Amino acid sequence: MKHKKECVAMLLAGGQGTRLGVLTSQVAKPAVPFGGKYRIIDFTLSNTINSHIDTIGVLTQYQPFELNTYIGNGQPWDLDRLNGGVFVLPPFMRAKSGEWYKGTANAIYQNIAFIDKYNPEYVLILSGDHIYKMDYSLMLDSHIKNKADCTIAVFEVPIEQASRFGIMNADASNRIIEFEEKPKKPKSNKASMGIYIFTWQKLKAYLVADEEDKNSQNDFGKNIIPNMLKAKENMYAYSFNGYWKDVGTISSLWEANMDLLDNKSGLNLNDANWKIYARNSAEPPHYIGADARIEKSLVSEGCEIDGSLKNSILSHSCTVGSGALIENSIVMPGAVIESGAVIKYSIIGPNARIGRSSKIGEDLTAPTENGEWEIALIGPDEIIKENSVVKKGQMV
Amino acid sequence: MSNIMGVLFASENESKLNELTIHRTAASLPFCGRYRLIDFVLSNFVNSGITTIGIIARSNYNSLMDHIRMGRDWDLNRKNSGLAVFPPFVTSASRDMYKSKIEAVYSIADYIKRAKEEYIIISNGNVAYNFDFGKLFEEHISKKADITMLTCKSETTARRVLPVIGKNGRVSEIIFSNTQGRVPADVSLNVYLMNKNLLLELVEAAFSRGQLDFEKDIILTKTSELKIHAYDVKGYVAVVDDIKSYYYESMKLLNKQARDNLFDSYGDIYTKVKDSVPTVYAEKAVVKNSLIADGCCINGYVENSILFRGVNIGEGARVVNSIIMENGQIMSNSNMSYVITDKNVTIKENRNISGFETYPIVIVKDKVV
Repeated sequence: MKHKKECVAMLLAGGQGTRLGVLTSQVAKPAVPFGGKYRIIDFTLSNTINSHIDTIGVLTQYQPFELNTYIGNGQPWDLDRLNGGVFVLPPFMRAKSGEWYKGTANAIYQNIAFIDKYNPEYVLILSGDHIYKMDYSLMLDSHIKNKADCTIAVFEVPIEQASRFGIMNADASNRIIEFEEKPKKPKSNKASMGIYIFTWQKLKAYLVADEEDKNSQNDFGKNIIPNMLKAKENMYAYSFNGYWKDVGTISSLWEANMDLLDNKSGLNLNDANWKIYARNSAEPPHYIGADARIEKSLVSEGCEIDGSLKNSILSHSCTVGSGALIENSIVMPGAVIESGAVIKYSIIGPNARIGRSSKIGEDLTAPTENGEWEIALIGPDEIIKENSVVKKGQMV
Repeated sequence: MSNIMGVLFASENESKLNELTIHRTAASLPFCGRYRLIDFVLSNFVNSGITTIGIIARSNYNSLMDHIRMGRDWDLNRKNSGLAVFPPFVTSASRDMYKSKIEAVYSIADYIKRAKEEYIIISNGNVAYNFDFGKLFEEHISKKADITMLTCKSETTARRVLPVIGKNGRVSEIIFSNTQGRVPADVSLNVYLMNKNLLLELVEAAFSRGQLDFEKDIILTKTSELKIHAYDVKGYVAVVDDIKSYYYESMKLLNKQARDNLFDSYGDIYTKVKDSVPTVYAEKAVVKNSLIADGCCINGYVENSILFRGVNIGEGARVVNSIIMENGQIMSNSNMSYVITDKNVTIKENRNISGFETYPIVIVKDKVV
């Protein structure tokens, strides 16, 4: 059949990301900047194209404008294709009805027609809020080899943290026997990464049935996966061993950025065989002034730096005035740090301006008991007056 | 601006660029950390709304083709108009390769005639500036000029085209100087705006007489017959025609005002996107007064220098007053001063290489020292 694709990817990008506070007040979580010149969604989009999957539906709902503009025709990811490519799929009105995406499963249900157009054998379900490099084609190989109906990517977490995740209990052949959402007493450490491959016709049947169930929350984790397990479908776990991080909180977003500075973290972007693509900002090289001092940091294009930077990430188009000091922090695109400002353990939002001699954040030595770092956060476009003080963990 | 087309000569002025143009046209010479010279002219065209652009390459155009691809990075991969590249083999068998601009324009006369635009800007590819051609067009119309040429104030006059400009901006004479004269002086950017039919007439007439030099045989001989005006481009303008001017104009960009002028004055400057990662500063990095592109890894000392994308500076290495082009590998404890290394050059451990301000040492592409 014409236009047929073996596998279509569906990327769930509608999440509000409330735990990222002011960073997601204007944009959806996948559009939040990361690592100096990327957005969170770049990782998933790049993984998809690098895995030779060239048809992607991006399901947006919350604050979609910036994300839609960012994805555009998909050209930065080589996804501007004649047949296939990237499609932004917001919820829409139909002749008789029309509603928001009620849940992750409902979002796919509402786009059955889109998927059917490519008549795929398999559908890959992704979420746009994880930082990782993964070859989905290997997972697809395993799905095909196992003759599975559903394959779920799992990541082995330390067993003491397992109760924070959805845990897959599998037998020796990796066949999933049981799924437990945030179990008090976890039986395994295989955490679901929220990445699923389904045999499309099978999934479609479950989606239709789920939609008819008025009590369903229309969610993959809560409804579709348990229902398929109950019906004893062929379900397998696929173990992923590389770097993977959910950046759903301020603390984890900060940690994942900091992992870029740590050679041992396993997160290496400088990989010619697995490039992470991003929409380019057309900025000149960055300029380091005569009195600047930069140590163990990442700096991107278009920056002008006269101050000091240590163990930090400076995104593109930022300005750092003389005598300013930035330590263990992330400065997002277009931010201006005026002279003499001191920034420690903070995230400075896009286009924020930190006034002269302000003090943002405080030195930290360890995360608090719940494992969270008390990172100070300055929101996008925020203007901090000179000599202001923002304490650790505070959000402005 | 949709009434102007652009034609760009990619291969002019390369004879004096020696080592740097062995492998490429002058227009594809790497400049300011992440650009090629042609990026500036192309971006100026696009930002001014000029989207029918012909590029004439004479030799070594492989790197040029690789750089511009289909013009996508400049938004020139259009259905209507867009980019047309004319490599030398377009000329018919009876003619040799282009020797001059006159022959080049003559050989693409059909392309120029067919275009819907009435006016044409012809430009060399070796000028870096940020300019609104709309202003040039306004001036051209208001002065009722036949030809308007761009000029700038320059500290270098040797072997450049020097127009003599009257009070009203009219060019009365053209001088070709072989030696450095009194500076600063008005020099030509070799960028001309005129009605395209006028260009074709002038070129056809010159071609049929076997004349080759656009400036000497056309512009100089027509100063009284035609109204030729000069438009002075203010701010940073780099005309790159030899190693010395390449080095001098590059280093000027360490000055903020020059940089703001080149990158922030009118439009964005676009270039081929390479998806390099941000630059990594390791523990031993000390960098002062330098321009650093993405994708570098620095663990040594860098001062008054320009590093292109993907450069590695090893521990204990010192790079001062130098330009290191893409993927340069400067290994540990090497000393470099007044050096220009072309793409993919490797400097092994403990090497000492030093030129002088007026004579920077050039290390050819792909060499290992």
